[in-house]
Amino acid sequence: MASPTSRLLADLEAQGFILPDQTAAIEDDERTRPFSLNYELRTLLYLGITLLAGGVGVLVYQHIDSIGHGVIIAAITLAMSASFAYATRHLPSFTWQEAPRTSIAADYLLLLGCLLFLVLEGYLQVQYALFGTRYGLATVLPAVLFFALAYRFDHRGVLAMAITALAAWVGVSVAPLDVFRQGMIWQGVISLPALLLGFVLVAAGLLSEFLDRKRHFAFTYLSLGGNVALLATMSVLFHTEGRYTLPWLLLVLGLSAGLVWYARRAQSYLFLLMSVTYSYVAITYAIISALSSDHSGNWIVPMIVLYLPLTLVGIVLLFLNSKKILRLA
Amino acid sequence: MSFKAYPAAWPHHTALRAAAARWQRRGLLLPAQRAAIDAAYPVDYYQPAILLRVGLFVATLLSVGSLLLALGIGAGVHSEFGLGLFALVGCVVGVEAVIINSRHYHSGVDMALLYSALLAWEFLILCGFSTWLPYSYSHQYYDHDFWLITPGMWLHLLLLLGPLLLALWRYADPVVAVVTFGTVLALLANVLLHAAFGQLLLPFAIMAASAALVYWLEKQPARPNYLYYRPSLLVLRTLALAAFYLAGNYLIVREGNAKLIGGYGPSPQVPLAPVFYLFTAVVPLLYLYLGLRRHDRLVLLVGVLAVAFSIFTVRYYHALMPPEVAATLAGLVFTGLSLAALRYLRIPRHGLTAAPDDEATPHFNLESLIVAQTAHVPAAPEVGFQFSGGQSGGGGADSTY
Repeated sequence: MASPTSRLLADLEAQGFILPDQTAAIEDDERTRPFSLNYELRTLLYLGITLLAGGVGVLVYQHIDSIGHGVIIAAITLAMSASFAYATRHLPSFTWQEAPRTSIAADYLLLLGCLLFLVLEGYLQVQYALFGTRYGLATVLPAVLFFALAYRFDHRGVLAMAITALAAWVGVSVAPLDVFRQGMIWQGVISLPALLLGFVLVAAGLLSEFLDRKRHFAFTYLSLGGNVALLATMSVLFHTEGRYTLPWLLLVLGLSAGLVWYARRAQSYLFLLMSVTYSYVAITYAIISALSSDHSGNWIVPMIVLYLPLTLVGIVLLFLNSKKILRLA
Repeated sequence: MSFKAYPAAWPHHTALRAAAARWQRRGLLLPAQRAAIDAAYPVDYYQPAILLRVGLFVATLLSVGSLLLALGIGAGVHSEFGLGLFALVGCVVGVEAVIINSRHYHSGVDMALLYSALLAWEFLILCGFSTWLPYSYSHQYYDHDFWLITPGMWLHLLLLLGPLLLALWRYADPVVAVVTFGTVLALLANVLLHAAFGQLLLPFAIMAASAALVYWLEKQPARPNYLYYRPSLLVLRTLALAAFYLAGNYLIVREGNAKLIGGYGPSPQVPLAPVFYLFTAVVPLLYLYLGLRRHDRLVLLVGVLAVAFSIFTVRYYHALMPPEVAATLAGLVFTGLSLAALRYLRIPRHGLTAAPDDEATPHFNLESLIVAQTAHVPAAPEVGFQFSGGQSGGGGADSTY
């Protein structure tokens, strides 16, 4: 049976691009190359550690007064120490650049260690009131630890956990999909902490890119922080009217400009898409709220007939030229 | 004359360039040779990165929608038929125009226009049915509780299937392939459910049809058309494998049967239950074995998902242990299993390896977003102590790679 690959090879050989013995070598390689299970095993491992940490997290509280309790705690402590020990054995030497990955297992066991640390810390607080009523301390401690580990072990997953912990400290969720769950954008809570957190994270991302300190961390900072900052700004924007929208609109546009700057630098389509979408929604809302202040309703039909089609065509044209914008072409 | 909308050279050049890049990475091709191949087989169509395709798709869909809205409201066109027909013709002309003039190749724009045309066709069918169906018939047609067993549905599905097949043949679009597959299955179910023993035969009929499709798809790579249709054929293969498993899955059969019978309360036991127990247990393992044995990633992944769904099926009827114990045990098993496999396959054995494939680009950026979404530990059950958002970690099959 002529496979597509051998047809392509025959095509190339007939055109004189490759030599006959090269064709044989390539066909041999295609046939004997081992089948990589890298992604499958990593996914299974990640699923395993999240299930494990989630399961024992619940078990600890359910057996808090029983004999099995001490055993569970001892097991968690042991597992956490073992995870950290294994990760430390494969510790890369420190660099401000991206360190070469030494061991897949070490990467994920470090994550497991961090998750189990959260379980243990929560347990110690509930059982022995370790931090008393200083809940802030209890949430900022993992953030500090995880940031340190993320930079030392050069681990983006732990960095994401550190950002999550930092957000929990200020009382915000940064999980990307929580936007849809909580509908925070429609509630219009003027969330100053969210806004500040978002700006701090965006600044951290832009600085790590600009100063070339762990440049590959910029994506994590900017994607999580940019989303929080833009969402917080938009939720304020949606509850202002008339000329009061202007400062918030400018804020959205400013943030978007920062993200476009990064998108051009990192040649990332994600950030271009993000900033265009947020800016478009913000500008459209500002125009509608400016027009609707005269209460006549005359603006609705022209808005639908003219504004929407024309601006959407504009966006399509913008996307069509995105290669030039991102300096890829 | 070829009925294909896009030049056959486009997928051919793409496949050649991808293969050349792979061979050069593996040191089988000199950089100069690859440069010569790239120069001889240029990419002269427009297909941006995936996120931009999504953006273009949404923007085009919104443009079509707002244009039709503007025609309906602004210009005061009131004939539904006229509007539908205009949308159909306009979108088909639009697809052809963007392909010929702007050389779009599954870029989002042509896809959105194609789907709009098919939606317009569906709209026209609905218009036609509501206008021309005799009253007694349309009464039956619209008032049935479950659309799949509606008596006249076969005509509707058949009218839909024709243009879908034409579109699939001409544009080789994966999403059209999905809808076509669904339409054929619905047609099969609709016809069978009005026959004697139809309900009993339905799972076996779907399994047989899926198996036949898989068998037919096995032969496709040898055909010269293969590269043009490859994305749609891969999608069809995934669907056929999934349908073969699900049609034999005990949960699907039992709950589907209960839904077809109607009524409330717990679902009754189905006839031939042991056969479906067997399918539920064996088909996933068969997929896993074949996937690993024949180095077929698609079969392997469908097999993994099938194993997960089979476990869910067992838990649905017999909860053997509380969820937190099950999660802990599953976590231990998964972690242990994958760590052992990583160690065992550090050097390639049985044609398998744990080392990353040089075809795959690592998605570390994506991983950090997944961690931010999923890596939480359940908070203490006490008021006033907000630990980490209070979101239960690891809800099961949430490994979104």
